[in-house]
Amino acid sequence: MESAIQQSCLDCSLRPDRLFCDLPTSALEAFDTVKSRLVCPRNTVLFREGQPARGVFVLCEGRAKLSVCSESGKRLTLRIAVPGEVLGLSASLSGSVYEVTAELLDNAQVAMVKRKDLLRFLREHREACLHVVTLLSQDLHVAYDRVRSVGLGRTRRPRSAHA
Amino acid sequence: MVSGLTRASVERHRGVIMLSPYGLDIIESCLTCKMRADRIFCDLPTAALQSFEAIKYATAYPKGAVLFVEGQAPRGIFVLCKGRVKLSICATDGKTLILKIAEPGEVLGLSATVSGKPYELTAETIDPCQVNFVKREDFLRFLKDHSDACFKVAEQLSEKYNNACHEVRSLGLSHSAGEKLAKLLLEWSSRNGEAAKQEPRVKLALTHEEIAQMIGTSRETVTRLFADLKKRQIVQAKGSTLVIRNKVALKAMATNT
Repeated sequence: MESAIQQSCLDCSLRPDRLFCDLPTSALEAFDTVKSRLVCPRNTVLFREGQPARGVFVLCEGRAKLSVCSESGKRLTLRIAVPGEVLGLSASLSGSVYEVTAELLDNAQVAMVKRKDLLRFLREHREACLHVVTLLSQDLHVAYDRVRSVGLGRTRRPRSAHA
Repeated sequence: MVSGLTRASVERHRGVIMLSPYGLDIIESCLTCKMRADRIFCDLPTAALQSFEAIKYATAYPKGAVLFVEGQAPRGIFVLCKGRVKLSICATDGKTLILKIAEPGEVLGLSATVSGKPYELTAETIDPCQVNFVKREDFLRFLKDHSDACFKVAEQLSEKYNNACHEVRSLGLSHSAGEKLAKLLLEWSSRNGEAAKQEPRVKLALTHEEIAQMIGTSRETVTRLFADLKKRQIVQAKGSTLVIRNKVALKAMATNT
C-alpha cells in the first residue's frame, strides 16, 4: 500500500552525502515541485522488468533488490540499491522498458518523479543533468562488475596500464 | 588533423590528391558528416558541434589496434565514426568475455571518463576505424558547457546499461551454451532490416573463438553447436553469411523449450 506525503528535500539532513540530492537550492526547490513522496512497506515492487518506464524512484530511506528474470521464471539478483540511489533512471531517460525489477527489502520512503517531469527538470537544470550522468556511469560500472562475476566467475584484479 | 597513416590509398577529389589511411574515407568535420542525424551523440546543435570540433582529435586505426585497456586510467572518450570495435573483459586467469561489438556512432570509454574510474573494458578494433578522441578534461568541460550534449551522454549511458543488464540476464540465467548461442544469433539476425524476413541472414564477423568468448564457453563447444545447427537445417552457411532457415526452432532453443 502506498500513501503520498510531501516533505521538502531542502530540509533533508542527508542531502550533502548523496550524489543526486546534493544539488543547488534552486534545483532542489524545482525538484520538490515535481516529486511525490511515498511511504511503502517491505516487499513493495516499485517497478517490474519489461514494464514501460513511467518515472524514477529516489530511495530516501530503505533498500531495494534489483533483479532480472528468465522466461522460465528463474531470478538473478543484480545488486542491492541503498538510500540515495535513483532507480529506473536509464529506462526513464531512454523511454524504454525497465531493465530490472525493483523490490523493497525494507519499509521505505521513496520520491517518485514522472518521466516527463524528470526530462523537463533535467533540461532546465544543467547541474542535475551532470549528476545524472555521473550516477549512470556508476550504475554501469556496477553492472559491468556483475557481468564479470556472472560471465567469468570472479572479480577483476587491476591490470597494469599500458603506455 | 588526421593521424595514423601507415599504408595509404590515393584518391583524387576535386583535383586534390588526398591520402586515405587503411582504405577509410575520412570524415573531416562533424558538421558536414552525413551520418550525424542517425547517431545519438552526434546529433547535437551546431554550436555544441562547433565546440566539439575544437576539442576532438580525428584518428585512423588499423584492424587489431587497442584503443584502451581494462584497468587503465581514463584518458578520454573515443567516438567511433567508422568501423567496429570489440569490447571485452578479462579474468585474472586470462579468460576473456566479449561484451559486445561496438558500431559507428557509439562513444567508447564514456562511463570511465565521466566517473574518473579505470576503463572497465578493453577496446580493440576489428576493422580499420576512424575514431574521434577527446581528452577527459576537455570532455568534462564540454559537458558542463552544453546541456544538450550532457543529455545525449545520459542517453548513451542508458543504452549501455540496458545492454549490460541484458548480458547479465543472458549469461546468468541461460542454462546451456546452446541457449546462449541461439539467443546471440537471434539478436544479430534482428539487425540491419533482417528481423522481418522469413530467413534472416547474419554476417559472421567473429571467429568461433570470439563467439565462444561472447557466450562464456569454449571454441570447441561453439564449433560443435554450429555443426549441430547445420545438421538439423536450422541454419545454413553461405561463405561468411549464416542464413537462419528455421527461426521457430532457433527461438525454441533460445528459451529452452
